[in-house]
Amino acid sequence: MTTRLKQTDGQRKLRDVEIVMKTSMAGKSRRPISAEPGRPRARLAPLVALALLAGCDGRQSVLAPAGADARVLDSLFWVMLTGAVILWLLVNGLFFYVMRINRGAMSRRFADGLIIGGGVIFPTVVLGALLAWGLSIMPDQRAPGEGLTLRVTGEQWWWRVEYWPEGADTPIVAANEIRLPAGQRSEILLNAGRVIHSFWIPALGGKMDMFPGRETRMSLKPERAGNWRGQCAEFCGASHALMAFEVVAMPPDDFDSWLQAQAAPATPPGDAAAQRGARIFAREGCGACHAVRGTEARGAVGPDLTHVGSRLSLGAGTLGTTLEDFETWIAHTGAIKPEVEMPGYDHLTTADLADLAQYLKGLE
Amino acid sequence: MQDERQPRPDEERHEFREEAESLWRITLAPVAWVAHFVTSYGIVALVCAKAPGLLGMTRGGLGLATLLALAVIAWLGWRAWRQWDYRTTGDYTNARGEAEDRHQFLGHAAVLLALISAIGVVYGALPVLLLETCR
Repeated sequence: MTTRLKQTDGQRKLRDVEIVMKTSMAGKSRRPISAEPGRPRARLAPLVALALLAGCDGRQSVLAPAGADARVLDSLFWVMLTGAVILWLLVNGLFFYVMRINRGAMSRRFADGLIIGGGVIFPTVVLGALLAWGLSIMPDQRAPGEGLTLRVTGEQWWWRVEYWPEGADTPIVAANEIRLPAGQRSEILLNAGRVIHSFWIPALGGKMDMFPGRETRMSLKPERAGNWRGQCAEFCGASHALMAFEVVAMPPDDFDSWLQAQAAPATPPGDAAAQRGARIFAREGCGACHAVRGTEARGAVGPDLTHVGSRLSLGAGTLGTTLEDFETWIAHTGAIKPEVEMPGYDHLTTADLADLAQYLKGLE
Repeated sequence: MQDERQPRPDEERHEFREEAESLWRITLAPVAWVAHFVTSYGIVALVCAKAPGLLGMTRGGLGLATLLALAVIAWLGWRAWRQWDYRTTGDYTNARGEAEDRHQFLGHAAVLLALISAIGVVYGALPVLLLETCR
């Protein structure tokens, strides 16, 4: 009952949200997929546009490989596609030849040869060769890592991320963003909270499912520094499509210093607005679900926010990171991300929201 | 004196039994394929879960099992080929429903099943031979 109330409530707020969103479009932020009731076509248009655009920039495309594993899959795809096109042309060309060009009877010997050679021997050899090739490259896809281990847990609908450098006893906790050292193979251990998810960075490698209570593993080796997008690839509930993440591969030295910074406790709030924001954060009980290391906030229900200001997206790849995005997210969480566990804090005054955003954005 | 055209005692029952056995025989090649597949799949799963150290030996053993399965299928295929008797009769389809036709048709079917079983065994053995670890 409460859930339903919350939803209709959220829907009513959507227009406001969109207006806020539009004003914030001037920044780097992306618009979330809106769910305006009663106008399915208007809802679909940005979706289609988004899908097409996402295919263009190569940030989330298997056809723009930037990782060792993705490159292998890419060549596999092109070889098989080329082979399939050639075969299609041959088979249909033959059809055309015997039905339109040379319609005379063919000898029994030739017909038998064609059936046995082209229908039995040729496919058996081709499939056997493809199978052998596929099997020979399969173990490389699951090669062991070279030092850094990541532990990623799929939650509804975000990513709990732990970095375990070689020999570490405690992890460095982050969320909703994967950073990897370029040119090195990192081990990635996968798990899930309540339902099955799937971890997929198309530009870097294949995907691997995440199961509650059963660890799976994969490894990725970005070939160069760059920025890509990952996406949950197994339907996991209402906001499955909004369960994405930014992927950043960095030169190893940069990565080490970044990781060191991530291990440090949160930066204390700087200016007066941020200090007020920190007090609002405490007053509203945000720390019951979110951790900000170095403060009283130790919750582990939602994403760790210790360095949320340094991330490249909000709401697991859903929004950008301008101050307006922070405000929108905090006030209209459920409208942006349906059925999310975090309630929208739309009862906060505009000034309070601005202060809170200032505080969180300052957590770099 | 016995008339040559008179059926020998139990001749029909004898013939019937032979055909019934032949009906069973055409399933033997696929059975060898199934046995090979289940053995490979089951043993590799067990070894990888319980004793990964024995994988090398297991792969060798399964290689031998593959050769054995192929030998059995080849033998069955050869017998079926003779039963089909294509070389002598030149009958490819055996369309008439006489006893001899049924006999040869079962041979024909068994040859084809042996062929596909052999392909299945080779495809099934490829992962065992090419994947060198439990990963």
